[in-house]
Formats: sequence, C-alpha cells, structure tokens
Amino acid sequence: MTDTTKKIGLFAIVGLLIVLTGVIQSWNTALQILNMGLISAIMALGVNLQWGFAGLFNVGIMGFVALGGLATVLVSTDPLPEAWSAGGFRILLALVLGAATVVAAVLSYARLAKGKARTLAMLAILVVGFFLYRWVFDPAVEAVEAINPAMAGNIGGLGLPVVLAWPVGGLLAAGVAWIIGKTALGLRSDYLAIATLGIAEIIIAVMKNEDWLARGVKNVIGLPRPVPYEIDLQQSTAFVDRATSFGLTATTASTLWVKLLYAGLFTVVLLILLWMAQKALHSPWGRMMRAIRDNEVASEAMGKDVTRRHLQVFILGSAVCGIAGAMMTTLDGQLTPGTYQPLRFTFLIWVMVIVGGSGNNLGAVLGGFLIWFLWVQVEPLGQALMQVITYGMADDSALKAHLLDSTAHMRLLTMGLVLLLVLRFSPRGLIPEK
Amino acid sequence: MSSNPYQDGRGNKDRTITKSGGGTLNVDTGTEQDKHTGEAFLIGDSMTGGYGKTGPDILHDCTIAVNKGEIAVIVGPNGAGKSTAMKATFGMLHLRAGSVRLDGQDITRLSPQARVRQGMGFVPQTSNIFTSMTVQENLEMGAFIRTDDFSDTLAQVYNLFPILKDKRHQAAGELSGGQRQQVAVGRALMTQPKVLLLDEPTAGVSPIVMDELFDRIIEVARSGISVLMVEQNARQALEIADKGYVLVQGANAHTGTGKELLADPEVRQSFLGG
Amino acid sequence: MDFLNAIVALSNFVLIPAIAYGSQLALGALGVTLIYGILRFSNFAHGDTMAFGTMVVVLVTWWFQSMGLNLGPLPTALLALPFGIIACSALVIGTDKLVYKFYREQKAKPVILVIVSMGVMFIMNGLVRFIIGPNDQRFADGERFIISARDFKQMTGLQEGLAIKTTQGLTVITALIVVALLFWFLNRTRTGKSMRAYSDNEDLALLSGINPERVVLYTWLIVAALATVAGTLYGLDKTFKPFTYFQLLLPIFASAIVGGLGSPLGAITGGFVIAFSEVTITYAWKKVLTYLLPENLAPDGLVQLLSTDYKFAVSFAILVIVLLFKPTGLFKGKSV
Repeated sequence: MTDTTKKIGLFAIVGLLIVLTGVIQSWNTALQILNMGLISAIMALGVNLQWGFAGLFNVGIMGFVALGGLATVLVSTDPLPEAWSAGGFRILLALVLGAATVVAAVLSYARLAKGKARTLAMLAILVVGFFLYRWVFDPAVEAVEAINPAMAGNIGGLGLPVVLAWPVGGLLAAGVAWIIGKTALGLRSDYLAIATLGIAEIIIAVMKNEDWLARGVKNVIGLPRPVPYEIDLQQSTAFVDRATSFGLTATTASTLWVKLLYAGLFTVVLLILLWMAQKALHSPWGRMMRAIRDNEVASEAMGKDVTRRHLQVFILGSAVCGIAGAMMTTLDGQLTPGTYQPLRFTFLIWVMVIVGGSGNNLGAVLGGFLIWFLWVQVEPLGQALMQVITYGMADDSALKAHLLDSTAHMRLLTMGLVLLLVLRFSPRGLIPEK
Repeated sequence: MSSNPYQDGRGNKDRTITKSGGGTLNVDTGTEQDKHTGEAFLIGDSMTGGYGKTGPDILHDCTIAVNKGEIAVIVGPNGAGKSTAMKATFGMLHLRAGSVRLDGQDITRLSPQARVRQGMGFVPQTSNIFTSMTVQENLEMGAFIRTDDFSDTLAQVYNLFPILKDKRHQAAGELSGGQRQQVAVGRALMTQPKVLLLDEPTAGVSPIVMDELFDRIIEVARSGISVLMVEQNARQALEIADKGYVLVQGANAHTGTGKELLADPEVRQSFLGG
Repeated sequence: MDFLNAIVALSNFVLIPAIAYGSQLALGALGVTLIYGILRFSNFAHGDTMAFGTMVVVLVTWWFQSMGLNLGPLPTALLALPFGIIACSALVIGTDKLVYKFYREQKAKPVILVIVSMGVMFIMNGLVRFIIGPNDQRFADGERFIISARDFKQMTGLQEGLAIKTTQGLTVITALIVVALLFWFLNRTRTGKSMRAYSDNEDLALLSGINPERVVLYTWLIVAALATVAGTLYGLDKTFKPFTYFQLLLPIFASAIVGGLGSPLGAITGGFVIAFSEVTITYAWKKVLTYLLPENLAPDGLVQLLSTDYKFAVSFAILVIVLLFKPTGLFKGKSV
C-alpha cells in the first residue's frame, strides 16, 4: 500500500511541478515540458528495456533517436519524382551493391578454408566492391543533390501521413539495432557499449553528410503535422469563438490547443508502450530476461539462448527509442542533424533511467518527466541564482557578466550532480525494481 | 539480485568497459569472545565462526597451533574447513569466539596486512603470484613492506629455489605449475616471516614436483620458520609434519604428531584410505 | 623527381599529421588504460578530464601572455602546462575522494563505476563550459613552423612543400618524453611496480602490504598529467573546444581497446593505428597519385576513400575489425 502511495505521490509531485510552471511561467512552457517529457519517458522506457530488463549497456541511444527523425522525413515529406529519375534508383542500386559486397565478404570468410587465400579473397571482394559502389554511387548522388539544392537536393519522401513515420522510425531503428546486435552481441556479449557509442556517432555523421538522404546539415524544415496549424485555427471562427468563451486570445488558444493535441497523441503512444512493457515484464519472457540478467551462467546451463534473448531485447528497446525519435522530430516539425549531441540524447536518457529506477517501467517514465523538467527549468533557476549571487557585484564587473552568461551551462552540472546523488543515496532509483 | 545495490551489475560482463577480478579478499578481524586455552608460537585458539556477521558457523571450537621451527599440517575430508581454519588465523573470518596469538601477543584484532608486518606470511591456494610480472619483480613485491636492503633474502630465496634464479627475468605467468608455487612461496618468504601459512601448496602439481616442494618446505622449517600448511595429500604431508590436525566439519577430530596420526587406525581408515 | 614529390606530399599531408595525432591519441589512451587496469572501469569522463586540464593551461597561458611572459619560439602553453597538471590533479583527486572512493569501499561492480563516471563526465563538462564557454579558443603562439612549405621548396627545389608545424614537432617530442618517463616509472620504481602488482592481482597486492589507496592516488596523479599533456598538445595542434574533447572519447577508447585495454604498450600502438587509419582513409590521394602514375592514368576525382566527416567511422571500423579477429586487442590487455 505504501508502495502505491509513494508512486502516486511521486507522479503527483511531477504533475504539480508542471502545473506550477503553467501558473508561474506560462502554460505554453508547461505544455512544452509535458510534450517533451512524454517523449523522454518513451525513450527512458526503451533504455529501461535494455538496461533494466537485460543489463545491456547501450550508449548509442542518440543514433536510434536520430534514425526515428530520419524516418519522419523519409515517410512524410513530398515525393520528388525528378530526384528519383535523376539518380534515386541508382543510389538504391549502389546501396544494394554495397550491402552485397559486405555479405559476399562475410560469406567468403565463413565458407572458404582458413588461410592466406581467404584473407586475400575477402580483401579483394571488399576493395572491388567498394570501388564499384563508389562508381555507381557518386554520380547518382551528384545528380540528386544538383536538383534545386536550395530547397531540396535530396530524394524526398513518400508523402504519407506523418503519424505513420512513428512505427517506421521504430522499424528503422530496429533494423540498425539488429545489425549492431548481430555484430556486437553475437561476437561476444561484451563490446556493446563501445560499439553503440561509435555507431551513434556514425549515424549522425551519415545524416549530416549524405545530403541526398535528408539534406544533411541544410536541415529539413516544415515537416507535415498530425495536428492542425495554429494559423488555420486562428482563421476558423468556430475556434476563435470558443477561445473567447474561455477568455483567451485566438493566438494563445491556438498554440495551447495544438500542444494539447500533441500531448494527447503522445500520451496514447506512451500508454500503449508502457502497457506493453509492463506486460512484457510480467510475462514468462520478462521473467526469463531477468533470470538471465541475474544469473547468466545458470540460465545458459538451463538451455536458454542468452545471445538471442539479448538480441531481442536490444532490438525492442532500440525500436522504442526510434519511435520516440520520430515523435520528437514530428513535434519539432524539422530535422536538424547538427543538434544531436550524445550528452543530450544518450547520457541524459541514462540519467532518467537511473534516477527513475532501473528495471521499473514506471520508474523510467517518472525519471523521463522529472529529469526533463529539471533540464528545462535549471536554466531559469540558474539565472535567478546567479542574479542573487552577483547581486552585490558592480554592474560592470567582468565576473558578473561572465557568471550571468554562463548559466546556460549549469544544466550539465546539475544533471551530473543529480545522477551522482541518486546513485549514491538511492542507488536503485526513485521507484526501485521489486 | 544482490542485497547491496552497488554490487548489482545487472549481469554485466562487459569486459570492454570494465575489468574483472576486483578484490575478493574477505577481511574480518576481531572476536566476540576471547579464549585462551593453550600456548604455542602461533595459535588459533578455540575458534568458532563463519564468513560475515550473519554467515553460518564453519568452525566450531577449532584450535590450530604451530611451534617455532615446526611443521603443522591440517588435513581432513573435503569441506571440513581446513582452509577456513587457516584463513581464520590470518584475519579473514568472522570469529564469534576464540583468539589468535603470535609469539605470545594477541593479534586477533590486526588486519591481514598488519599480521604480515608482525611476521606472518600467507600463500593463497590460487592466484598466488603476479602473473604479468617477472619472477624477480614478484619477489620484490613480496618485500614491499621492507625498507631495509633485502638482497640477502633474495639470495636466500634463489638458493632455496635455484630454478627461479635462472628464470628471474621471465614473466611468472609463463612458468610451470610447480615453479609458480615456488614463486608464491618465495614471495611470502621475502618478508622474512616467522610463520609461513601455505594453503594446499601442492594442488595440481605432479608427484615428483610435490616431493620436491615438500623437501623445500622442510628446509624452510629448518631455517627456523614455523610452517602451517593445509594439504590434500594427507599421507605425504603427515610424513613430514611435526604436528597434525585432522578436522571434521570444522572441529578438531584428531590431533597428534604426524607419526601418531599415521599410525592411528581410525585416522588411517577414515582419511588415509586404509 | 615526381617520386620525391610524391613522398614529400605524402609526408606533408599524411605521415606528419598522423604521427602528431597518433601521439595525442596514445597519451589519451594511456590514461584510459591506466584507469581501466587499476580502478577497473572505463572512465567516460576522460575526454572531459583532458578538457579541464587544457582549459587551465589555456587560462594560465592567456595570463602569461598578458604579462608578456613567453618562451620565444615555443608556445607559452608549455610554461603553463605544470599549472594545468596541478589543477587537473586536484580535480581528479577531489573527484576520487568525493565520488569514486565510496564505491570502492562498497566493492561496487565495475559497471556501476562506469555509470558514476557518466555523472562525473556531466559535471566536468558543465564545469569547463561554465568557466571558459563552449566556443573555440586559440592559445598557440610562438613560431608557427619548424619548416614552412615555402622554405622547404626553396631549400630542395621540389614542387611540393613539406611543412612541419612547431606544435607537431613539440607533440612528438613531448609524447616521447612522457612515455619514456611513464615506462621508467612503471617498470623501474617501487611505486610503479606496486601499481602493476595491484592491477595484476589486487588481493595478493594487499597481502604484500601494498596500500591500495596510495596506488589509486598515484594512478590519478599520472592520469591527470597524461590527460593534461594530451589535451594541451591536441589543443595547440588544432584548437581547444570542449565538445571536441568530449568527442575524442571514441578514438581514445578505440585506441586503448585496439591495443588491448590495460596494456600501456597497446595504448600507444592503438593510438598510432587509429590515427594512421583515420588520416590515410580520409586523405584525398589525388596529389600523390598524380605524381606516381603516368599522365594518362592520373585520377580525375579526389581519390578520397571517405570524407573527413567520417573519421569516427574509421576508428570504429578498425575497432570492430580488431575485435572480430583478436578480441583481446593487439597486445593482450591484462596488466598495467
């Protein structure tokens, strides 16, 4: 009973914090925090699947989140037929060739007898394959990127509803997770941490530099939305009337309404995923996963295929992160690969999971909301704190200016502090695994 | 899940980011109830206890003692608490009763490291050498606490184990099983201990090497160092022992000189295979 | 003549930068490997430790510059280096006392320590950005080149110039000195040997009377020095930007793992393997090939295998290849 009370209490506190933000700052900010909190909670749920259920140390969350964003662009933007006729198919062919090269190399390694001949054959396949790939790939990319580079220069999307991008983002992330898992988990169950750290950087590098894909650092803006545009709402008399009846101006009401709609959509996704994660946790599959985590040797001896199970949970967790990534890009309405930074998209999610309680889905969700709230609010709080600290200083003091300028960086400090304090004094997190 | 949340690694064996083999040494000093029933150069007196405050008792009123320059051997069936009894004299067991005295001094409350300084040398059964370091470096590390010139002791160890001198610049991990044991014993001798504790020094070595190791151990004892040793090979060990302890379920079952025990029909029947 | 030109171009654009970068990586990887060997976890905060040390060096350098203090042709940063090392040592030892020590006493699982190091990473990262800001900072001064491309062309009459930056020369020389000192310390001194012993077999080290807290203290001191030197050399050679230092974590870890985590020799080898791979694979070979190949075979493209933006991919690919074929790294990572 006290356990349930504690949970309700903790969630109530976070709810209260967001409501307070609405009252003190603005409801716009509060809803922004709520929306990103929902997305953060989903990411934390994904990481909790991997770390909490199975003990997999994934530090490449950023990559999966970014893949979700990429899926949004590829699914929802308008198709560009001229790009496809100019070289889109040739790019596809090149990618297939590239993949075939890798497969051929792997096969030759697996099939041929050990020795110098095998090494040479494999190297030859890789070198020939690489040049063939570049030979097909480079002109096609040039052709695609030459088309209207100021506005497009990429292969465009499918023009499908943007909500579809969310599951697609999950699938894309799952596909990449399968490749990583196959290499890193299959090889030995060890190298996951470093492998994911590297893969995430590579995914971001690809998204920054392959302009034909999603315009790279030129960004894709104006992505379609699943909810109405504020400007349309403001022009609808019915909406304006209702807004006035609530005593709100049309502008405020429209921004709030759009955010509320997003919040509704995100809540549905979060609830579905949370329900599934809870089911999974208490299913035989979840129990087995925890059994493997707590005693891998014994589970192996009982005939459990540990690597396979790990691969499953790794893919599932990454897919959840991909979904969250697609949702986030939808919320932003734009894809800006330059903004993906590991501290924000990998390590912050880790803070959420650890603070919330590893191994507990509710904990992860709580951590997602709470840490996101802190992440946003530390800056104004820091600003206020610095105002107090520098109150006595002369106005032209360089130190004062520096301190006031630097408050933006206090959030990293605070996150580190929160993580260390929780790890030290409540190592199981706020809502521990039972 | 472990009861200590800090020790819950969530089954992580991720050896790229972490390294296994942290300290497993169980240090537990002091006693809840002093006992004083006998005298010897080193005596673990009426020891009762187990691992940790809550662990079940492994030793029950068990007394182990060795006199100056003598060899005492602890034998007994598997799980009788032989190694545990020896570790208890080294401050690695939670004593509910009993005490440990060295040369008349009560050392029950000293940490294992402090006992090394008091003149005890301990050779664990496994991981008893620095595998990545050379033989010479192993011996130097043995003498780590000494601030005086230890080249004499080094020469003595090389005298005792001539093969080590030949291999002194080789990594200890590359040596054969018997040679590794020599390094391990040599390392413990570098502190010039008054008592040497050996935990199954002949485990996993061939019979010929075993005989040689026993010869060396006799030599060590002749130089005035008391030797307390746990042995699986009960018969051979008792043959060189001045004193023998047969432990059964953590308690003294038979005690006597090596010869007495070898002649005792009950001991022969139960532990020496007739 | 063309052949000579090709060699000069190759040295200028590939060999020299790779050697300098390799030295910087090696010094960074040595720090990672030492912590792994002795404290038994991978320190995710290492990049930010480097950033902190370098930041202090940058600040002190500016202060010296403002006082007109300099080393003539050498960068003033060399004069500021000891201050950076001292400040960095104070920081890491403070961190150890406040944070890591508790987990050691709890005999915490190494993976917990890794997560703890993530928290430390956040704090150090925030600290550095708080003090010096997130932007690029230049602090190199003194003579820019040992040999400039123009001088070299005049001297040799070759078409291609060979430029050796002061910072590159400095990097290699400093790295050599630091590595020599480190190996002398680890292999010849009593304290160094006790560190190796502790890394090899913690229990036996305790039984031999080695004080673990002392070993840990020395480790952090050495790591702080290595990190500050590596960071300063990197910053002099390129530029100082906190985020870049954080990103260096990947190539540094790659170097340490490729060489075999825990092995200092491996860390150095790994550093150079990664550096050379990165530079050669992202270098546009057109110039060198134009000299070497007959005219009709001269390449039209840049002959660049991968764009420089993919240098992380290179360190990562090397890492995966080595792990696939030799999971323990080139040198068996076991001891310090």
